[in-house]
Amino acid sequence: MPGVAFVAHCLLNQNSKTHGGARCPGIYSPLVEELRDAGWRLEQMPCPELAFTGLHRFWAVKEQLDTSAYRRHCRRIAAAVAGAIEVHVRRGDDVIIVGIEGSPSMGVHITSSDPDRGGRPEWPDGAGELSPGSGIFMEEIVAELTERGIEAPRAMGISHQLPGHDPEAERAALRDLMEAS
Amino acid sequence: MDADARCFRVALVAGELLNAAEGRVDAMAVLQAEEWGAIQLPAAEYPDEVAGPLLEQVAEQVEEFARHGYTLAVVGGRPGLDEALARVGVAAPPAFDPDTADDLVAFLKETCR
Repeated sequence: MPGVAFVAHCLLNQNSKTHGGARCPGIYSPLVEELRDAGWRLEQMPCPELAFTGLHRFWAVKEQLDTSAYRRHCRRIAAAVAGAIEVHVRRGDDVIIVGIEGSPSMGVHITSSDPDRGGRPEWPDGAGELSPGSGIFMEEIVAELTERGIEAPRAMGISHQLPGHDPEAERAALRDLMEAS
Repeated sequence: MDADARCFRVALVAGELLNAAEGRVDAMAVLQAEEWGAIQLPAAEYPDEVAGPLLEQVAEQVEEFARHGYTLAVVGGRPGLDEALARVGVAAPPAFDPDTADDLVAFLKETCR
């Protein structure tokens, strides 16, 4: 039975992306269509970086954002989202989370990391900042759900900003996630 | 860096219209075709203690788009939205509750003029 997909903000609003990162005008249709065709309800999560570092933010790695102030900001959003997830879990809905792989905030299995990055924003293209792990918001939403006694939902990240992105593989991964309950 | 494809148009959309039930306007399909981004408003089924913090986040994000001159519109609306926007100093954007997809298309086009 179809469930509820809590999706990264930018899946429905590419305007929230860091400059240079918007892949389409507004709604990132490939995965939205996949979810809708399967009858899943979409719930959009807020973008943690948008209101904190703004539309003109630089691309950043996890270490640059991992301050106590940003953690507090993410916890506030996580509490808001967890409240909605809790409504669905308590009534027996299947819930999944779709984040953004490679993101310092929304990465599910891949985040970006470079402990030395800072100062004047000049670094070579292709710097190897991608690394295994979750982004800061994803860590906080899992912690918030755990505090509420709710098991973290199955989750995956959109891979469209990773090198070697394979749209078909991405759609197949989403189908697998939806069907894994 | 890749070319950026953003549209600079953001609609604040009732949850019930983004996940449209049979017979209601499918706002997601219209926004996709008209090339607008969406910020989802909490569905009416959420109790106030759940919807309130979500609306607060919506308002903070809208404030950032408003500050940078993005075109904004409200589709369907949500009780408490105007108050949440006022708390961050943002005037309520033009709003419309469409009966048909064509009405929504016309409203979005008019908002862009």
